[in-house]
Amino acid sequence: MAPQKHGSGGNGFYANSTSKAANGGAHVSSGVVMTSVKRPKMEQVQADHELFLQAFEKPTQIYRFLRTRNLIAPIFLHRSLTYMSHRNSRTNSKRKYFGVNDLLFKVEKSKVDQESHNMASNLQLTFTGFFHKTEKPLQNSENEENSVSVEMLLVKVCHKKRKDVSCPVKQVPTGKKQVPLNPDSSQTKLGAFPTLIVPSHEFEPSNSHMVKSYSLLFRVSRPGGRELNGMTTRDTSMNVMEELSNRKKRFCSNQDDGETTFVAQMTVFDKNRRLQLLDGEYEVSMQEMEESPVGKKRATWETILDGKWLPPFETFSQGPTLQFTLRWTNDTADRGTAPVAKPLATRNSESSTVDSSKPSNVKPPQADSDHNNDKLRVYYQFLYNNNTQQQTEARDDLHCPWCTLNCRKLYSLLKHLKLSHSRFIFNYVPHPKGARIDVSINECYDGSYVGNPQDIHCQPGFAFSRNGPVKRTPVTHFLVCRPKRSKPSLSEFLEPEDGEQEQQQTYISSHNRLYFHSDSCMPLRPQEMDEDSEDERDPAWLREKTVMQIDEFTDVNEGEKEVMKLWNLHVMKHGFIADTQMNQACMLFVEQHGTTIIEKNLCRNVLLHLVSMHDFGLVNTGNIDKAMAQLRDLKQQKDGQEQSKMQDNADSGSSGDGKASVSNFVKTQNH
Amino acid sequence: TQQTKIKIKRGPKSCRKLKETRVKSEYMRLRQLKRFRKAEEVKALFQSNRRRIEGRTELLNEEWSKLRIQSIPLSTTSGSLSSKKLCMVESGFPSFPNQAVAMRPLTTVAGIPFMYSWSPLQQNFMVEDETFLHNIPYMGDEVLEQDEAFLEELIDNYDGVHGDREGGFINDEIFKELVEALSQYSDPEEEEEEEPSERTENKEEEDEKGMQKTTPEGPEESKVGFFKRKRRSTAEGEYKDLLEPPSPVKLPPLCTPSMDGPFAKSVQREQSLHSFHTLFCRRCFKYDCFLHPFHASPNVYKRKNKEIRMETEPCGLDCFLLQKGAKEFADQNMQRSQRPRRRRRQPRPSSSCGPTPSGSGEEGKEGDSDHETTSSSEGNSRCPSPAKMRPGEEGVEESDSPPQWSGAEESLFRVLHGTYYNNFCSIARLIGTKTCREVYEFAVKEMLIHRVPLEDGGISPQKKKRKHRQDVNTPLPDNSSNQVYNYQPCDHPEHPCDSSCLCVMTQNFCEKFCQCDRECQNRFPGCRCKTQCNTKQCPCYLAVRECDPDLCMTCGAADHWDSKQVSCKNCSIQRGLKKHLLLAPSDVAGWGTFIKEPVQKNEFISEYCGELISQDEADRRGRIYDKYMSSFLFNLNNDFVVDATRKGNKIRFANHSVNPNCYAKVVMVNGDHRIGIFAKRAIQRGEELFFDYRYSQADALKYVGIEREINIV
Repeated sequence: MAPQKHGSGGNGFYANSTSKAANGGAHVSSGVVMTSVKRPKMEQVQADHELFLQAFEKPTQIYRFLRTRNLIAPIFLHRSLTYMSHRNSRTNSKRKYFGVNDLLFKVEKSKVDQESHNMASNLQLTFTGFFHKTEKPLQNSENEENSVSVEMLLVKVCHKKRKDVSCPVKQVPTGKKQVPLNPDSSQTKLGAFPTLIVPSHEFEPSNSHMVKSYSLLFRVSRPGGRELNGMTTRDTSMNVMEELSNRKKRFCSNQDDGETTFVAQMTVFDKNRRLQLLDGEYEVSMQEMEESPVGKKRATWETILDGKWLPPFETFSQGPTLQFTLRWTNDTADRGTAPVAKPLATRNSESSTVDSSKPSNVKPPQADSDHNNDKLRVYYQFLYNNNTQQQTEARDDLHCPWCTLNCRKLYSLLKHLKLSHSRFIFNYVPHPKGARIDVSINECYDGSYVGNPQDIHCQPGFAFSRNGPVKRTPVTHFLVCRPKRSKPSLSEFLEPEDGEQEQQQTYISSHNRLYFHSDSCMPLRPQEMDEDSEDERDPAWLREKTVMQIDEFTDVNEGEKEVMKLWNLHVMKHGFIADTQMNQACMLFVEQHGTTIIEKNLCRNVLLHLVSMHDFGLVNTGNIDKAMAQLRDLKQQKDGQEQSKMQDNADSGSSGDGKASVSNFVKTQNH
Repeated sequence: TQQTKIKIKRGPKSCRKLKETRVKSEYMRLRQLKRFRKAEEVKALFQSNRRRIEGRTELLNEEWSKLRIQSIPLSTTSGSLSSKKLCMVESGFPSFPNQAVAMRPLTTVAGIPFMYSWSPLQQNFMVEDETFLHNIPYMGDEVLEQDEAFLEELIDNYDGVHGDREGGFINDEIFKELVEALSQYSDPEEEEEEEPSERTENKEEEDEKGMQKTTPEGPEESKVGFFKRKRRSTAEGEYKDLLEPPSPVKLPPLCTPSMDGPFAKSVQREQSLHSFHTLFCRRCFKYDCFLHPFHASPNVYKRKNKEIRMETEPCGLDCFLLQKGAKEFADQNMQRSQRPRRRRRQPRPSSSCGPTPSGSGEEGKEGDSDHETTSSSEGNSRCPSPAKMRPGEEGVEESDSPPQWSGAEESLFRVLHGTYYNNFCSIARLIGTKTCREVYEFAVKEMLIHRVPLEDGGISPQKKKRKHRQDVNTPLPDNSSNQVYNYQPCDHPEHPCDSSCLCVMTQNFCEKFCQCDRECQNRFPGCRCKTQCNTKQCPCYLAVRECDPDLCMTCGAADHWDSKQVSCKNCSIQRGLKKHLLLAPSDVAGWGTFIKEPVQKNEFISEYCGELISQDEADRRGRIYDKYMSSFLFNLNNDFVVDATRKGNKIRFANHSVNPNCYAKVVMVNGDHRIGIFAKRAIQRGEELFFDYRYSQADALKYVGIEREINIV
């Protein structure tokens, strides 16, 4: 159960953020209507709701699924898209100064780093504060020096053993600290912050179970009322080692009392034993415990319609978040017991930073500056059921409602919607407070594949295996073609006028389809692309046909037939078209078929053929002489060979012309 | 009268009945035997095919086994997403564990459009009219009324349907076998009832010596009873005909034995060359070509290059030229040897004709079948033909000259004499077995023989052929100038090409294949271009003709035979410089043709090839194609239509469009009209090709309805 739990825990973050993105920041006007208008309208509203669902549920579910799939196995990265270039933080400026020697330097440096990591075995967390701004009135009434209690547990997910039903999980409490609530960063001094340390030996393999992954579980208890708050404040006991069940019980009781608990989980070492947390400042988004069942399991886009309030999307601007500084220290001087799980390589640790920043929603430092278009409102107007409209408003939120992708810019959002969610039609309408996006179902969407067909029929003819490298069909993808891109302007998303139906421009030109053999209708494999089945002038059936046709004659003798067949095949093979080619053709004929002619004893018939050609005015006598001379030479050679053979056999002493002709006699009869 | 006679002769009723049943059973037995034999044949054929396929597969497998197979790494879908279905094999025994493997679903493959089979072709192929409907077109499983009406109408268009003709329950072969079988064991019964005289005749028949006037009663008569419709006399006659030994070696009169074979005869030049002359197509350079049903015999009057090379130098010490008077003979006979040749074109000397040419079928059967057989030497020896005798006679005649001339040598001499005249040295060299002196002596003798007035053999010059081709009667052109008629070489020896000339009448130029003078007014002169011949500056291009490699010597049409780079752009069809085309399901309808490499505007793409059929035939076929809603007919000219249904090339799949990227053009290519498909604009690689089927609406593609196309599009 543990890995699933682990996975779902990871998913939980997403699921929650989904609900936040889609619903959290969006106020559904119908919902508002529902509350303000009286009962009789309820049924109508419900029917309307049904219609809305009918129209939008299916595509929304599909896009939800696709989003998840793309997170797990991304086909492409959004940051590499032109209209999402602002998501790409990497620059190529370093390339200019790149030198080969730097590589060595880099490697050496990383080695040093690694060693330092080895030594820095203890995980030290210094909490800056707990931020939660939602309930301003409460805070105002409270003392500014308010604090919450933060408990940190190390969760060890172990490998499953045979007898176990699920992966055993071990939670090791590492301590509890009071952390200031909403501290003013300007006032507080650095040294005063509470610190928790996870000793290095915790990361060593335990005896009974092989630990698969480590993660930190934060629990923040915040008193709901004043008295309770005070009570918890008083409870400053550290390193309370208690049974888990007990703790849970207390949790529940606390909740009953009105205490709110927030939780968050961060992976330290993932199941591949890669270090996920590096030194740095972190801000972790917390969730309320009581909301978790909805948030995790049934977090659908529609949950908002139940009228429940969910935390706003702007987690990081409003909280609840927990800020802390994380460091791997070697203060305890336990140099011998370095953590077993260590970052494998620099590359891994680098990538893990990227990864870790995503799930834990670590606020990138540059993110703040991007949020300058504060409180931009985006109204999604859903059109369904013959122009019924429903509006959803998103404030200061440029996440895609379907895949929670933070587009950060309105232009990017619109472009993304248009390109990635083609089951809908999006039309942009300028709005004084921001933008209105009309969303309707794309009736023309037929689910047909618009990508490169070669990707579908890749390697036809090889179901599961192939022979070494295989050629691919030459397809031109316009990847680096620098197309004339018009300046990004929102006007391109305005509702198109009737006339300018955008020409479906194919971005893949040339052979963007699967071809077939014309004779067998079998798919043409890319390596067969270059051979033209029509290249041969004389297909086999035609060769056979001409032979058959000549054989059909009853009044042509077999010698003539043989010569005619040979000649026809010769002409068909070479495709002679001009009278002037004939002299050459005859010579070629004798050259190529000389042996056959002699074997079949057709010399005189060939002579007749040549004379006939001469009668037609196609060859001259000189050529006849030459051709026949060549045949004669060949024959003499052959006869000479036969003679020597015969002499070897000592069959007969004399073998003259007469003998040779006799042997030819026999041959023809056999034929 | 004969009928009554038979009736009288008939035996008792019971006996007749018995015979009838016997005939019946015998007939059934034979039929069954035949069916069985046929099945065996089919089986054998099937098995041989299987063997061939197996051989091929083995070859392929061998190739494959040599190579190491590398499995394709399938995209590993992550575990949580793919619903992992397992394929389990459970065994009943507990000791064997269940085996499971992850199911690997194959992606669906889209079906391909329907395609009727067709044969690839790179040049048009002329076929005869089909007056018999070969098969009744399949119109779907459910019979619709309108289809039936259509079929009836269709069948009316034809002389009949294939297979109907036989109709009867008996064919010649079975008939003959039946008579033979019955005659064998009917004898004893016959004896009881019939007179001895008839019995002897019966015996005679049994021996199959031949059927005289009265056939044995038994089998024949009962047959008549059985086949009530068949009149006795006809049955008798048929049987008689059939009794002739079906000798497969029976050669038709005009066939001369092979020159290289042992039975070569001494014949005249025309006879020796007859097959070559009549079957050679001067336009395709092939024998019995696929495109031109009629081949003109060579024009011996006018040689392109008159080369009568006389060797003035003796070829050796024994050269005939060193003989007394030989040189004079050679020179003096130069003129004469030419003259008689003219006369000799048709006639042949009686000496060699013998019984051969005229004896077609009327002569005695035995003799006819026996003689001239090339395979059975026995028969030859028994009945030597007069032609065979001749050398012998000669031998007697000129016993003083030791060298014997075989029939082949004599014939060869005559053939070569017609080409080399008195250049006996060359002739001797080509004959190979004779010295020029011997040749000379023989020639002197021949001259004497030829003084004898020649007898007209009266043979039709046309070679008889089993597959009959019907005459293409060129319809007289009407005066409308936009009609295009097929070209046929004109042959009117005495006249110049005037209004009576076929070429002039059909408004075609005379080509090099015509028998008219080279300086004929109606001949197309060709071009003298030094450029690419792709503008109207070029007279060939202007006349919608491809450059003739024998006429246009400057543009490059006659150069670089082996390369695809020709400076002249107006000879692509004849050279087959087509573009590589690809076949794929069309974006529009059915299959489509796609181009592999980009082409420029007006570049030649491909020739539209197919069967060349007459307009009448196209009419008949078009009816069926219309019903099928797919037609590959393309009007070529007033006489012929190209039908790419059965034979064609890939361009046949190009679809119709009103805004096409290709256009079709009928071009005269060395005397043949051919359809070229050209690029109407620059076309990129991978584009689908379209052309406007309505091209020259008046006469092109009348069977491809535009309405229908629109329906599909």
